[in-house]
Amino acid sequence: MTRAMRRPLVAATGAVLLAATTAACAGGSGDETEGDGTLSVWIMQGTNPDAKTFFDDVSAAFEEQTGATLDVEFVEWADAHDRFVTSIAGGTTPDVAETGTTWTPEFADAGALAPLDEYVDGAGVTEDLVEGLVEAGTYDEQLYGMPWYAGVRSLVYNTEMFEQAGVEPPTTWAELEEAAAGLKEEFPDKIAVAVPGDAEFTVYPWVWGAGGEVATLDGDTWTSGLDSPESQEGIEFWTGLATEGGYSSEGATTWRETDVLDAFAAGDVGMAVMGSWTPGAIVDANKDMEGKFAAVPIPGQDGGIAPSVLGGSHLSMFETAEDKDLAFEFIEMMTTGEFAQQWGEQSGYFPGQVSLLDETLASTDPLVAPFAEQFVDGGASVPAAPTYGAVQAKLTTSTMMQSILSGEADVATASEAAAEEMTNVLNGSE
Amino acid sequence: MTQQVTTQLTEKLPRLSRARAATVRPWLLLAPALAVLAVLLLWPLVRVFLFSLQDYGLREITTGEPNWIGVENYAQILATPELWTVVLPNTFGFAVLSVAGTVVLGTGVAVLLASLGTFWRTVTSSAIMAAWAMPAVTGTYVWVWIFDADRGVFNDALMSLGLLDDPTNWFTNRWTFYAIVLLNVIHHGFPFVAVTVLAGLLGVPKEMLEAAEMDGAGSFRRFFSIIVPQLRQVFAVVIILSTIWDFKVFAQVFLMPGGAGSNRSVLNLGVWSYVESFGQNRYGFGSAIAVLLTLLLLVVTAVYVRTVLAEEER
Repeated sequence: MTRAMRRPLVAATGAVLLAATTAACAGGSGDETEGDGTLSVWIMQGTNPDAKTFFDDVSAAFEEQTGATLDVEFVEWADAHDRFVTSIAGGTTPDVAETGTTWTPEFADAGALAPLDEYVDGAGVTEDLVEGLVEAGTYDEQLYGMPWYAGVRSLVYNTEMFEQAGVEPPTTWAELEEAAAGLKEEFPDKIAVAVPGDAEFTVYPWVWGAGGEVATLDGDTWTSGLDSPESQEGIEFWTGLATEGGYSSEGATTWRETDVLDAFAAGDVGMAVMGSWTPGAIVDANKDMEGKFAAVPIPGQDGGIAPSVLGGSHLSMFETAEDKDLAFEFIEMMTTGEFAQQWGEQSGYFPGQVSLLDETLASTDPLVAPFAEQFVDGGASVPAAPTYGAVQAKLTTSTMMQSILSGEADVATASEAAAEEMTNVLNGSE
Repeated sequence: MTQQVTTQLTEKLPRLSRARAATVRPWLLLAPALAVLAVLLLWPLVRVFLFSLQDYGLREITTGEPNWIGVENYAQILATPELWTVVLPNTFGFAVLSVAGTVVLGTGVAVLLASLGTFWRTVTSSAIMAAWAMPAVTGTYVWVWIFDADRGVFNDALMSLGLLDDPTNWFTNRWTFYAIVLLNVIHHGFPFVAVTVLAGLLGVPKEMLEAAEMDGAGSFRRFFSIIVPQLRQVFAVVIILSTIWDFKVFAQVFLMPGGAGSNRSVLNLGVWSYVESFGQNRYGFGSAIAVLLTLLLLVVTAVYVRTVLAEEER
C-alpha cells in the first residue's frame, strides 16, 4: 500500500470513530437532543403477553393528551438491574421506568430517582394506593415509586388430590398439618406440601403469621427479627413440615419457586405457596391441570390471614427527566384508571390503586378471589431498605432454610446466624 | 500532523546508527497495536486498580465523586474467615483436581485418537467436539438434571439397584456437590486438551519412536521417555490455560442448586466475589478481589513457566 493511500484511510477511521462516539452520546440521551417532544420509558418484558398493543394504545392516548410522543423500550428482567446501574453511571437513564419494588429504595438512595409526593398529592390519589406497595416505594419518608401493579403469594392446592384424600383447604396451621398428613397417607409417592429451600418469599408468611418480623427500623438502625421466639416458631412450623413430617421432598431442599411450579404443574404436589401470576403458567406447562387447582389465603397460626409479600413494580421518575410534569402525566395515566385496570386484566396482576380492586374482589373465580383477599387484607412488604437487595444477593434467608432442611443446623442456630447477617447487611456494616 | 512526524522520522532515519534503527523500528511497527491494547486492556486494568482503593457503590457512580479508603477493601477481604476456611480451599482443591483430570483424560483420548485410522479418528473427534461445543450453561443443566434428587436418573438407578433406600440430595453436601462440578468441568474441558495434545503427538518424529522400539522400549517407556519430553511445551500451554479457566469457574457452580450462595460450604472464588461485590453493588470490593485474583494467577503462571524453562535449559 502506498503512503498516499494510507493517509485518507487514517482520516476515514478517525471520522468513523468520531461519528460513532457522537452517535453513542446522542443515543444515550435522545430526549435532550430532540427537545421536549419525547418521553423515554423502560418497561420490563414478559409481564403482559400483549404489551406491544397495549403501549400502542397508551402512546396514542398520551400523544392526544399531551402532544408528546412516547418512546417505550422493553427490557428483560434478567438484564434490567445491570442496565439501570450502567445507565445511572452514564447519566443516560430514561425519564420514567418500571422498577421492581425491591429496587426502588436502592435507586432512590443512589440519588437517581425523583420524589413523587407532590405530584401524587396533586393528583389526589394518595389515599387510594395499595399500602404494601407504598411502603415498598418509600425511602427516607418520601415516595419514590408509584404503585403500578403487583401480585401476591397464597396457598395453592391441587383440588383433585384434596378430594381423593378427603381433606379440606386449611384455615389454621393445625389444619394445614392435618391436611398434609391426610395427603401423605393417600399419596405416599407425592409431595404433600412443598417446602422449598431457595425461595425466601415463601418463608416470610410463616414468620409474620406467628407474629414475628423480618426486620424493623428504629431511627436509622435496622434490626432483623428472624431470631425472635415468634419468628422461630413460624420457621419451626414451616420447616418442620419437611424435616419432621416428611411431607416435602429431599429435592425441595434446593428448590426455587420455578421448581415448585414445575412439580405442581406435573401434578406431584398437594399444596404450595405460589404467586397469583402462576395459574396461567401452570396450565401452560400442563393442560391437564386446568380446573384442578385452587387457592386459599395463607392461614395465620390460629386462623385469619398470614401476611405475604406483594411482589410487583413501581413506576419511577428519574432525576434526569427534563420535563417532570410530563413524566408524571404519563405515570398517572399508567397507574390509575382505565389503563391500570386494563394492564391488570391482561397481565394477571392486581393494580396498585385500591378503588380498582373492588371489581376483582367481587370475583368468584377460585383462582382470583383468594389472591385478591390476600392482596388487600394480607399484603406486606419486605424491609424497604436500600440495602435489602444486598440481603437478597447474599441469599441470607435461603441459606437459613437450606441448612435447616438439609439437617446441618437447627432452627435456633440457623435463624440466629441469619438474623445477625441480615442486621449487618441492612445497616451496611458488612 | 501525522504527515509531519512521518516525514521527520524518515529524514532522520538514515542519520541514525544501524543499531538505533534496529531498536526503534520494531517499536514503531508495534506502536499501533500497543496503543490499541493500552486503550482496551491497560486502561481498564488501571481503572479496576483505582476502584479497588475506593468504597465504590451506586451512590459514587451517580455522583461521579471518588471515595478513597486506601487498602481497606484488601484488609477486609483478607480478614474474612470464610475466605480461608471455605472459598480458597474449594477454589484451589477444585482447580488442582480438575486440571489433573482434564489433562490426564485429554492426553489419554489424544493417544487413542493418534492410534486410530482416519475414519474412526473423525468419528471420535466429532463426538468429543460435541462435548466441547456445548455451552457451559446447557451442560450444567444436563448434569443437574441427571443428579436431581427426586426425578434424576442417577438416584433412580441407585435405588433400583438397591444401593440407596431413599432419594438423596447430592447438592447439599460439599463433597458430592464438587464431585458433580468436577464431572461437568472435566467433561467440558478435556476435548480442548485432547485436540491440542493430538496435534503435538502427530508432530513427534516417527524415527525416534521406531529407534526406541528397536532398542526394546515398551509402549509406556516410549510414551514417558520420548513423547512426553517432546510435548513439554504443549503440556505447558494446556496446563496453564486449564489452570486459569478452572480457577475462574463460575457458571458451573453458580447454576447448580444451592451454588449461588445459599449453600455457603460450596462457595468458590468466582461465586463468592460475585455475591459479595456485584450482588451488593460494592464495586470497589469486587475490584479488589479481581486484582488479587489476577496477581494470584500471575504468580501461578510465572512459577509454572519458570519450571518449564528451567527444565528446558537443563
